Amino acid sequence: MDAMPPVAASPPAAVFAGTRHPGLAAELRPARVRVEAPEVLHPALWLGHQLGRHTDQAVSSGFAALDAQLPGGGWPRRVLSELLLPHPGIGEIRLLGASLAAIQQAGRLVMMFDPPHALSGWALSQLGLEVAQLLVVHTRCKVVAGSDSLWALEQALKSGHVGAVVAWLPPRLRAERLRRLQLAAQAHDGPAFVFREMAAQQRPTAAPLRLALRAGGADTLQLRLLKRRGPPLDTPLQIALPPVLSASAHSRAEAAVRAEPAPSALQTATFINLAA
Amino acid sequence: MLWVALHLPLLSLESFATTLAPLGEEAGPAPIALVDAHHIVSANDSAQSLGVKSGLKRATALALAPHIVLGQADALRDLQAITAVAHAALAFTPSVTLEPAGDPQAAPHTVLLEVHSSLRYFGGKRPLLRRLQSQLRPLGHRVHCATAPTAQGAALLARLPEAPEGRHAVDLAALNRLLDAAPVWLLGPGREHWEALQGMGLHCLSDLQGLPRSGLARRFGEPLLAEIDRARGLQPDPRTWISLPDRFESRLELFARADTTEQVLHGAAILLARLVAWAGAQHAQVRRFTLHMQHEPRHRRDTATPADSTLEIALAEPSRDIAHLLVLLRERLARLQLAAPTLELRLSCADIARGAPPNGELFPTAKSEREGLIRLVERLQARLGHEQVQRLSLVEDHRPECATAVERAEASLRASRVARPPPPAGPRRPVWLLAEPELLHERQLRPLLEGQPLQLLCGPERIETGWWDAALAERDYFIAQAGDGALVWIYRARLPSAGQGWFLQGRFG
Repeated sequence: MDAMPPVAASPPAAVFAGTRHPGLAAELRPARVRVEAPEVLHPALWLGHQLGRHTDQAVSSGFAALDAQLPGGGWPRRVLSELLLPHPGIGEIRLLGASLAAIQQAGRLVMMFDPPHALSGWALSQLGLEVAQLLVVHTRCKVVAGSDSLWALEQALKSGHVGAVVAWLPPRLRAERLRRLQLAAQAHDGPAFVFREMAAQQRPTAAPLRLALRAGGADTLQLRLLKRRGPPLDTPLQIALPPVLSASAHSRAEAAVRAEPAPSALQTATFINLAA
Repeated sequence: MLWVALHLPLLSLESFATTLAPLGEEAGPAPIALVDAHHIVSANDSAQSLGVKSGLKRATALALAPHIVLGQADALRDLQAITAVAHAALAFTPSVTLEPAGDPQAAPHTVLLEVHSSLRYFGGKRPLLRRLQSQLRPLGHRVHCATAPTAQGAALLARLPEAPEGRHAVDLAALNRLLDAAPVWLLGPGREHWEALQGMGLHCLSDLQGLPRSGLARRFGEPLLAEIDRARGLQPDPRTWISLPDRFESRLELFARADTTEQVLHGAAILLARLVAWAGAQHAQVRRFTLHMQHEPRHRRDTATPADSTLEIALAEPSRDIAHLLVLLRERLARLQLAAPTLELRLSCADIARGAPPNGELFPTAKSEREGLIRLVERLQARLGHEQVQRLSLVEDHRPECATAVERAEASLRASRVARPPPPAGPRRPVWLLAEPELLHERQLRPLLEGQPLQLLCGPERIETGWWDAALAERDYFIAQAGDGALVWIYRARLPSAGQGWFLQGRFG
């Protein structure tokens, strides 16, 4: 993930300006002529208009267009990655599938916390995941004190032995609870994905990466990068997911969308008798 | 011969203190004292700071410190506490003995170890003593540690109330020098003659040395001289070694009844420390242990309250790590509803795994990661219940509700890296399956999802199977697109018994 061209150009430009009047420059700065760019000094530093880098190697998401926009070139390790979903089942597992499969290939375990529905093992193995390397933990099945539902997730993050963590968080989670998870994630050598409801984007987050997911048509996912270590991204990303549909069915789906751009409002309108 | 003596000056007081319920953090240690025949015999630091000291009358002590907890020494309780210390010592040498051993009146207060043959293994005397101290720390006793070439000499040095010249004698000459300065009342049999000795102007052992032997023997008895001779190495001193029981059993009678599991845990922590000492003595790891809690009946003929309740904890991977065992016990106790207040705790263990403990590792490896994972899963299971930690397995079945089996994950996970089955070809399946297929509304024979018509894209895929069990399925599956572009998996039931119409089976996650 290299910096964008204007960035690399800015510090040498300053040097160049100094060398235009060599005598003056020598008077002012006799010892130091070269100015180090901040991003060279320390890997944690970056300028506002460039993407941040991580000292840890990030896990590639498997989608080149997304990797290009993620700081570090992939899903970051040791921090939470927050994914906002309108409802489950828009392609979120297919988005993570390649990176989770790569982690399992390395012999590490993937843990899922509180998945919203039952998981289909065959579908996971079609995505390249190995069900033997997957643990599913349900924390909300019984009546427990409120702190318990995140306790298990925090333990898993803190232990540092899990390869990747995927968690579906309860709605309306308080910010300090998420901050606590973010602190626990520092010991976790791998990506940690937390799914939250769409309404959470109104509130601040402790996670350094936040994406909003929307279905963008058949086998397509629309991603908005709401927060990252780097400049904001205005245009949403269209990601072509591993296809479910055959090519002919896909073209049929697109044709149907063109033919029927939006369901007309009249069909779904409700009439209320105000006189009653 | 190199003897190590571990003297526990506050044994009775400390073993009494373990039976008390914990106080709050900010309250500090409670003042505690032991009473015998209406007189204080020993008091802990916080009681002494209030002015309570041994020899005071009970009423005086209560006047000085109204909140003082007064207890009585219990020989059986003390014996269990010192046995745990002896077990911890057995991890260093097989030659361990209690002192005084043969005397039925005097309870043992000192553990003696002969460590000469273990010195090389542990890398010398100093590292051995350091490890011994760290092994004894969880038991929570104040220990005076002394080393000497003779057993009796080491025991005497350890019993010195304060030792300005140290308690460690490297050879007999140094031991004799240290013993010369020791007060005469240290000698057990001589203690009742202490006043007579004092009256004769004899304060330390060197004063006795110059006196005629026969006269001393006539006045104070032969045992006094024999003890000095054994301490100075002039007489042989045979000892009988203690042996380790096959089955661990330790009990703790609580001073006040425990109403909460937190109080139970406090007492159980001491018992766990003893269990770990016992397992350490045979270089074994605990695989399973049981905590019995004896309850107090609410009234005399209370048959509804069980007499005791039992908590059995089995470990996936045998362990001797007291912190790990304590975490497991805490999580299990937190889920437990105490049937009645608890009076007495008993911890027993017979199931151990012998073998060398795993090597400590500096950097994380695959082995340490596997161990850490097992501990994590154990902890999750202890807190959430075994059924909540699941793993999936694939079943050869066409019905989606039967094709994935959910089973409890065993903590000793990842045993078999079976040959990976090739990813199944054929039509794609959705990741999310609804627990119950959801009946969809229809308009003009088109299924609706959330008020919007579904666009059928793929299908039909007919699944007609299960005639051999009760769940016959005859369905035509379609992949459809919802209004927002997400793909769903729906079917039309072909059996009248299964309901008519369109059903939502899953979503393509």
